[in-house]
Amino acid sequence: MKALDIAMRDLLHTLRTPFTLIMMFGAPLLIAGLLFFAFGSMTGGGEDLDLQTIQVTVANLDRAEVQGGGFAAGELLIEFLRSDDLSDLLAVEIVDDEATARANVAGQRAHVAVIIPGGLSAVATTPGQEATVVLYPDPTLTIAPGIVQDLVSQFIDGFAGAKITAEITGQQFEARGVPAGPALLQGAATQYAGWLETTGHHQEGADPLVDLRPPATEGEPAEQDAGIIAGIMGGMIVFFTFFVGAMGAESIVREEEEGTLPRLFTTPTPRTSILAGKFTAILLALVVQIAVLLVASSLIFGITWGRRPTVLLVSVALTVAAAGFGIFVMSFVQSTRQTGPVLGSVLTLTGMLGGLFTQGIPNIPELFNVVNLVVPQGWAMRAWDLSLAGAGPAGVLLPVAALLGMGLLFFAVGALLFRRRFA
Amino acid sequence: MNDDYAIRVRNLYKTFDEVQAVRDVSLDVRPGEIFSLLGPNGAGKSTTISMLACLLEPTAGDAYVMGHSILHEQMAVKSSIGVVPQEIALYEDLSARENLSFWGKMYGLRGERLRQRIDEVLEIIGLAQRQKGPVANFSGGMKRRLNIGVALLHRPDVLILDEPTVGIDPQSRRNILDSVQEFNRQGMTVLYTTHYMEEAQEISDHIAIMDQGEIIAYGTHDELVQIVGELDRIDLTLSTPPGQEEIRAALIQTWRQLDRVHQVSTAGHETITTEAGSPAEQSPDFEAAVDHSGLTLLVGDSNLVLPDLFETAVAVGARITSVDIQEPNLEAVFLHLTGRALRD
Ligand SMILES: Nc1ncnc2c1ncn2[C@@H]1O[C@H](COP(=O)(O)OP(=O)(O)OP(=O)(O)O)[C@@H](O)[C@H]1O
Ligand SMILES: [Mg+2]
Repeated sequence: MKALDIAMRDLLHTLRTPFTLIMMFGAPLLIAGLLFFAFGSMTGGGEDLDLQTIQVTVANLDRAEVQGGGFAAGELLIEFLRSDDLSDLLAVEIVDDEATARANVAGQRAHVAVIIPGGLSAVATTPGQEATVVLYPDPTLTIAPGIVQDLVSQFIDGFAGAKITAEITGQQFEARGVPAGPALLQGAATQYAGWLETTGHHQEGADPLVDLRPPATEGEPAEQDAGIIAGIMGGMIVFFTFFVGAMGAESIVREEEEGTLPRLFTTPTPRTSILAGKFTAILLALVVQIAVLLVASSLIFGITWGRRPTVLLVSVALTVAAAGFGIFVMSFVQSTRQTGPVLGSVLTLTGMLGGLFTQGIPNIPELFNVVNLVVPQGWAMRAWDLSLAGAGPAGVLLPVAALLGMGLLFFAVGALLFRRRFA
Repeated sequence: MNDDYAIRVRNLYKTFDEVQAVRDVSLDVRPGEIFSLLGPNGAGKSTTISMLACLLEPTAGDAYVMGHSILHEQMAVKSSIGVVPQEIALYEDLSARENLSFWGKMYGLRGERLRQRIDEVLEIIGLAQRQKGPVANFSGGMKRRLNIGVALLHRPDVLILDEPTVGIDPQSRRNILDSVQEFNRQGMTVLYTTHYMEEAQEISDHIAIMDQGEIIAYGTHDELVQIVGELDRIDLTLSTPPGQEEIRAALIQTWRQLDRVHQVSTAGHETITTEAGSPAEQSPDFEAAVDHSGLTLLVGDSNLVLPDLFETAVAVGARITSVDIQEPNLEAVFLHLTGRALRD
């Protein structure tokens, strides 16, 4: 009970300290983002910021509607993408089906696949009909797919205008007692689309008819190549959880200096409860941190971390390892003035050994991947790599066990040293 | 059993590496009294208290608080004492109420009883109006009061205060001294450490004087003053030509040899050099600047000694420029016993 009170007090302090908050959430996301852009262009798999031509592969399933000079939304979209104005920016290739288009992206032969759904033209002319243009970007890119998405959205926004025109036309005819046949509505839509093309006008705020889909939302296992950003972000999560673990343990040293720890020792509270409270606070802070970072990074960078149970298992193991390691490192620190330098050097060194900062760099010597496993950070990184590759819980048992074992060992030694200090 | 005393200390020792911080300290504190531990910086007061609060393990010896051994019944000891540490020990990011709430829980209070005690304590320490904002914004005096309040929450049998009035304004000090006496009237036994002899004199039933780890005197205020008996204390200012330390040293030497002089001390005084301003001060014997240094003497009968002092001063080329004859007090007792002043 008292241990929980102590834990809540510590957690409150952590969440009230701006520096800690930045280290928990801001820094890892920011650094991952920056590294991503830097490495993205360096490793060649990425994009150039000076906009080379974007390879677009289009599967137009809307072709079925092309008959009798009717309204063909798919064709219009392709025409739009191939228009002279965009010829510098886009190279459009038409393929027969969705599978081919996505294979082009997966095989790095195209940057984005655009899938025009079968019923797109019908959307314009049939009230209540729905269909969505789907984009499949290369997951290692953000800018190129963004541009294509913007262009397609521009077109579709105008297209939604056509839909509205058709619906209103239909309603007006019906209001006057004339049944509005499909031919009539198509005419209205075509006229509207023609007007749109000549004026270049498009509307804002229509229903989203374009959907940019990250590769794994289709329910398939996470793709093997989850991309550079996932690796970089994984490294940042590991580094900053170990950082926050050590910062949490610093509260023992800080409270000793501020006199609140000695004062706690004068109250009828067992020392075990005090240490347990501190450890619990660190665990809770790490749980919050990891959860926020996983969710935020999947929202911002579109990373799929793996299967739920696997991600959960790895997160728990990482939490225990980072907290235990923090207690261990801080048990050697005599004053808060030493905290900065000690944490900086120890965590950077072990982080480097663990390979946290070399994520996304190709052709790392095999030996290095073995050396990684000397430190818990290396095991944590391995666990994330496996999870990202779609491993099930059984697949990560070894790194998870290693993390738990190391974490508990570090905790035991650190706790022993602290107990001796306050004996 | 040791139940007759609130605190009973038996041959307590504490050694840090080379330093013997506490040497063979024994003392008894009666239930319901205010007991002061008076001593200069580094005397070993805090170290003694830390052992009583089970913060430090004694190198040797034992002590009993409300009959519980500090070696073997630590939880019982901790439950029966409230410790007010010398340095303020509060969570600065929390409010006064949040601090009291947290510390109350550490003393095992919960729920309605906790809330009630927090309200009472806030009232006692005069912070009921300031219970909301973070303690970081408090004045030194307010922090000191809250620091004391934390130790009152569980209504301890024994309240231990370690120099609670250091570094605060006279009004807050008055407030704290009054409160301590009020807690005592309500039945709390108080162990109070200080290096202000006025405080010890004012509030204590018994006083132990501590120096260099040892208790060098113990008794009521009157009993202690009896140690110096009929002695008078003279504070005087000596003026000498600047830079002529040897004149002053020689004079002190001469005075120490006088029959009725028991102690001569320079401690607690500093030498001040002044430019002689008015022409009247510029006698042929003196240069433009003058060193003024204070001295404290313990003498048998000041009326008989003073003429000798003036005479011998003039003989070596010094002057006595002020004289103050004091009643004997604890300061004099300390001087008598150690040859040094309480305050450095
Ligand atoms: N943790 C420690 N390690 C080494 N020496 C210590 C330690 N604590 C106290 N000392 C030494 O023990 C002696 C007594 O110190 P203590 O703090 O008990 O004195 P005090 O009477 O409380 O003085 P003050 O009025 O300055 O608080 C001093 O010489 C001090 O330097
Ligand atoms: Mg002290």
